[in-house]
Amino acid sequence: MNKFAILLIGVLLMSSSLLNAAQGDNVFPYKTHYVTLDNGLKAILIPVDSPGLVAYYSVVRTGSRDEWEDGKSGFAHFFEHMMFRGTDRFPGNVYDSIVTSIGADANAYTSDDLTVYHLNFASEDLETVMDIESDRFRNLKYSLEQFQTESGAVYGEYRKGRTSPWSVAIEALRDLAFEKHTYKHTTIGFERDVKDMPNLYDYSISFYNRYYRPENVVLLIVGDFDVKKTETMIRRFYSPWQKGYTLPKIIPEPEQTNPKNREIQYEGRTLPLVIMSFKNDAFDPANLKSLATYPLAELAFGETSELYKKLVLNEQKVQFISPDPGMARDPYLFSVYAMVNDEKDIDYVISEINKTITEFQLSPVTTEQLNDLISREKYSFLMSLDSPDGIASSLPQYITLTGDIKVIDEMFNNYQQITPETIMSAAKYYFTPERSTTLILRGAK
Amino acid sequence: MRTLLFLSLLLISLTFSNNASEGMMNYDPDKTVLLESSQEPVISFKIWFKSGSQDDPSGKEGLAYFTARMLSEGGTLNNSYEQILLKLFPFAASYYASAGTEMTIFGGRIHKDNLGEFYKLFIDQLLNPAFSQDAFARIKENTLNYLKTTLKYSSDEELGKAVLYNKIFRGTGYGHISSGTISSVESITIEDVKQFFKKYYNRNNFVLGLAGGFEKDFPAKVFSDLQKLSDGKESIVKAPEPKPVKGLNVTIVNKKSNATAISIGFPIDLLRGSREWYALAIANSYFGEHRNSSSHLYQVIREARGLNYGDYSYIEHFPNGGRFQMPMPNAPRKKQIFEIWIRPVPNETKHFSLRAALRELRKIVDGGLSQEQFDLTRNFLKKYVLHYAPDMNTRLGYALDDKFYGMKESHLALFRKMMDQLTLEDVNKAIKKYLQYDNMEIVMITDEDKPLKDALVTNAPSPISYATPKPDTVLEEDKEIINYKLQISGDKVEFLTLDELFK
Repeated sequence: MNKFAILLIGVLLMSSSLLNAAQGDNVFPYKTHYVTLDNGLKAILIPVDSPGLVAYYSVVRTGSRDEWEDGKSGFAHFFEHMMFRGTDRFPGNVYDSIVTSIGADANAYTSDDLTVYHLNFASEDLETVMDIESDRFRNLKYSLEQFQTESGAVYGEYRKGRTSPWSVAIEALRDLAFEKHTYKHTTIGFERDVKDMPNLYDYSISFYNRYYRPENVVLLIVGDFDVKKTETMIRRFYSPWQKGYTLPKIIPEPEQTNPKNREIQYEGRTLPLVIMSFKNDAFDPANLKSLATYPLAELAFGETSELYKKLVLNEQKVQFISPDPGMARDPYLFSVYAMVNDEKDIDYVISEINKTITEFQLSPVTTEQLNDLISREKYSFLMSLDSPDGIASSLPQYITLTGDIKVIDEMFNNYQQITPETIMSAAKYYFTPERSTTLILRGAK
Repeated sequence: MRTLLFLSLLLISLTFSNNASEGMMNYDPDKTVLLESSQEPVISFKIWFKSGSQDDPSGKEGLAYFTARMLSEGGTLNNSYEQILLKLFPFAASYYASAGTEMTIFGGRIHKDNLGEFYKLFIDQLLNPAFSQDAFARIKENTLNYLKTTLKYSSDEELGKAVLYNKIFRGTGYGHISSGTISSVESITIEDVKQFFKKYYNRNNFVLGLAGGFEKDFPAKVFSDLQKLSDGKESIVKAPEPKPVKGLNVTIVNKKSNATAISIGFPIDLLRGSREWYALAIANSYFGEHRNSSSHLYQVIREARGLNYGDYSYIEHFPNGGRFQMPMPNAPRKKQIFEIWIRPVPNETKHFSLRAALRELRKIVDGGLSQEQFDLTRNFLKKYVLHYAPDMNTRLGYALDDKFYGMKESHLALFRKMMDQLTLEDVNKAIKKYLQYDNMEIVMITDEDKPLKDALVTNAPSPISYATPKPDTVLEEDKEIINYKLQISGDKVEFLTLDELFK
């Protein structure tokens, strides 16, 4: 199957996949325990039968969306790097050697709406992990020198990604689509801001103090552990953490009134890329119309769509076409991505996308198509639950959007209310010229 | 300790499952790997065909890869590809064929609720592939685009690795990337694909792998269905013998970019399963554990100096390193290289970074590991390998690799056992025996050729300045790196342009 396209898009955007949900009342098949501390920290504990393994996720509900100040794009991601610099008690090299000595698989990632620190390790090391993790969230400390050295590594990360035409295209798309909201920049940030990072030491301390607070973090622990003992440990390690979360001053995006179009050039060689985007609403399981854009994406532009059959399989005008409904905390973009085989077909591909949109606005999908989609979501979810990390890794996006995973149930229940008419009205509502941004990237000859 | 014991048993149980099939008469236990787990609701299929890019006929490089894609995306005589996509859609399932250098896997995963319907499509793909003109044209266009643009422009590090492997193994079956070259892919015909399929996807050339909650009689059914494949021979190919690398050979690929990707390597005669391999694995993990801050190279180049995003080393082929944190199974090779991957560094530090990496290699070859480094690394690995195969599908992949390497017990179980048995002396002996710093291939994807060649050949100093202050220890060490001598002679430096690659 066309894994290449999907992976490519997935890797580039770090965006949410379609919602994963299962049928009936027991969507999420595991018993979930909650611990909430006085300081606002919430922990979600999910014991599962996984011999001796635990996945430990610290989900910070801050991502590049929270970079609202001028010249600070890319900072949430940079700060993720700084979280590995250590504390007085466990300096960076000591933190590293502890993680090494317990053979943990440890890493972190940042996207628009969240920053996630995750470790997989043997159950017997849970207390050690909680000790070092809670310590760095409460007592992070690094020198100016360490801060400045790390900025070099982040610039290196920018460089390695920058060679891809997709990075260039998506950066331009967002810059064009958004006027005020911080989704204007990507998670890695603008190069000028990445370059300026060594000068922002003081700002980094303020960033930590504002966002790395218990009210803004959710702990997620999945695997083979004792719930009672773990709860006691959470209270011991995380209770001293002081409240103090400050809301970022994100300016809401003003309503778009005209279609936007831009063509850009890429220095290397590539087939032309086309991205057509429409402003979607923020993720809200109660907003049926917006929820309907998730099945709409798959049915109109996914691998089983008529358009895919036409452009990819029969006419072979594109290398691939792939949708992303854009599940995000604030209103974001529903996008369709395509790589066009021949430059002269760019307009044709765009017109075919528009034709598909009109068809979905005028004719309802069948109930059978919808049922297949619901079945797909159910099995996609069930088949991902194959290890503690498999379970844990699908949850942070829901946690960051709503602070909880109960939303999965709510979303799925509402999902069942979506009818062919809901999908039609979603297509009419969202796919308008006033909401659209179209970007074309051409390579060097 | 209970935990670790339990995990060890889990790994060892793979071996038991292998043997458990011996009593059954309706499938060949030597050609079957079963990991049964009745509680597991998902069933994994991995049918290993003994074929890969090493079997590509000369002038038809890329044929194994092309044939595999024709199975993944080409439809069958009974169902077109689009019908298959529609039928699999409600199951959230897919199947695929993927061809590596020596191993091709035809596989898929399915929830047991949908096993019956899925299996019909899955086996039909193998028994009645369509090899349609439409799919052929689409896949050809796709592969050519990859070779002409994506591979050359979108990731300099992947490009550097491809050039390195091609260089080390030129003239052997490993001497081209699996997608082939532009001219070879252009020359592939549907008839080539059909013949390749007939020759290698035959009933005597597979090992059936199944994992998860399948019924007892299911393996026999699959095995008997696979007997409907065409008759043919088991493919047995000797390990390639690359020409010994003499001296430091540098390939400079000139590409406009503000950063330089560096890949370095040389062949080693060592495969997993032997005691020495696990000893060298400890040394390698210390020196350059993949995408882990415990890597010593990472500490020197990224952590202390902030020159790039990461620096790692390998003693086994690790495809898609930018995407995966853990080594993926089913990319086995009978011939391996020792490889160093320096992620893109600013152009002005390329000579310095190369020196820094090779100086560290020299230090570990000459000095070995200390007791403390050894203890830390083996304790790390003993637990870290538990993350290599966290789910049934990956475990099945490792079990097939065990068969490929002729291992009597599971590699992952042996790995952990060896961490208790090996000594510092074993590790340092393995380093001396297998690693060296005089003979290797070096590939640099960078923005200039002649000035870099001159600097390398004359050992011109490569001064470095940092935008930010560095501790004295780093600055002191820099003085040595700046003038670190590399014996590179002018006739060993080759220039390549992007247009010359993968022609």
